[in-house]
Amino acid sequence: MDEKKAAILGEIPRLRRYARSLLRDRDSADDLVQDCLERALVRLDNWQTGESPRRWLFTIMHHLFIDQMRKVNRRGEAAMLPLEASEAQAAPAEQVESIASREIVEALQAISPDRRAALVMVAIEGFSYAEAANILGVPAGTLMSRIARGREELRGLLDDTARRRSIRIVEK
Amino acid sequence: MSRRDFSERDIHMALDGELPGDERTAYEAWLEANAEMKAKSARYAADRAALRAAFNGVLDEPIPVRLNKVVLGEAPVVKASPSRTRWWLAAAAAAILVIGGAGGYLAGIGGLGLENTAEDQLAEEAIAAHVIYAAEKRHAVEVPARDKDHLQNWLSNQVGLKLVAPDLAAQGFQLVGGRLLPAGQGKAAMLLYEDDKGERISLFVIAESAAKAKGTYGSEENGPEAVYWLDKGYGCAVVGSLPHEQLAAVAKSAYGQLLAGLKS
Repeated sequence: MDEKKAAILGEIPRLRRYARSLLRDRDSADDLVQDCLERALVRLDNWQTGESPRRWLFTIMHHLFIDQMRKVNRRGEAAMLPLEASEAQAAPAEQVESIASREIVEALQAISPDRRAALVMVAIEGFSYAEAANILGVPAGTLMSRIARGREELRGLLDDTARRRSIRIVEK
Repeated sequence: MSRRDFSERDIHMALDGELPGDERTAYEAWLEANAEMKAKSARYAADRAALRAAFNGVLDEPIPVRLNKVVLGEAPVVKASPSRTRWWLAAAAAAILVIGGAGGYLAGIGGLGLENTAEDQLAEEAIAAHVIYAAEKRHAVEVPARDKDHLQNWLSNQVGLKLVAPDLAAQGFQLVGGRLLPAGQGKAAMLLYEDDKGERISLFVIAESAAKAKGTYGSEENGPEAVYWLDKGYGCAVVGSLPHEQLAAVAKSAYGQLLAGLKS
């Protein structure tokens, strides 16, 4: 097997984690990874030797994700969802998630895709600001404001969830 | 090194390992002395730990055979979703489900999330105006700096707040003039400045704002950047293609003077 393919195979776990944080549903996330891998293989020649395979693959996947989110938003397709997509969403993962884990995963899904990607890139994937800005194709200042607002938004959503949970408990 | 003021921005930088090592001690001292900031920092760190914990398990999952097959060239590979449900529909579904649940909060922060927030809109309008007018040689402004008093009165009346053109000579910039522009549902005042090398920056001021925010915004790589503030009743963005630190310094001076002018 050639070296480039071996390097790509080695990045699949990280790509899956990033996709899962963007999309949550396991099959949908793996479909995104598959799209990314297919595009990467077609463009194998564009990958310059010396360039980190991780950065190259994350850039491809990020473009796929953001392009699609923009199209969905423009066409308003979100309003005409087939039932199965939302059903798939209701039963997301096979593994048992703790309540805290489920809440933060749901809150992450609710923040804007741009902010979600920026935050995940740095907070979970561990890229530096410079690397993340490069992958997302935005200036460092924009990346920073997305991270800051993403964190603030996430905190607000989690507080909101906690508040609603305590209201439910009181109502019982 | 001289001691500098820290802000919320540094909390993020410290958390993300982006704070220079020689500032770390001063930062920790600042954090110790600010209970509110310390609590915020602890909360963000806890949220991050929860995020990592929630997703780390993915790394240990067995890789689906179909993904390995794509790379190894054993095509054709069929996707998982039974009826060709595309992955992005699930993304949209997720957004809708959560909005249904936390509607109250999300309504306040911009629905599906791709819509512009007040600060993004301010920054984008300010950058768009800058790109158009800062490049103009003969028609960059409607009212030139030599009619400064008239300029300030006219823009103040139109925009609806007391506007004083900041003196940015200490930063090397002289007022070129200003113009009136549309912004959202209202009007904006644009003030253009130039240094002796011909580098231009602009101030974009609006009088309508319910949000409170500050930050930096750049719409594209190598394009101009906006440093903005929004508060109840006014908003201001300083736009230019200067290095970030320099733009931030100019913006800080401009904002201080604008604010002093508003309240004079």
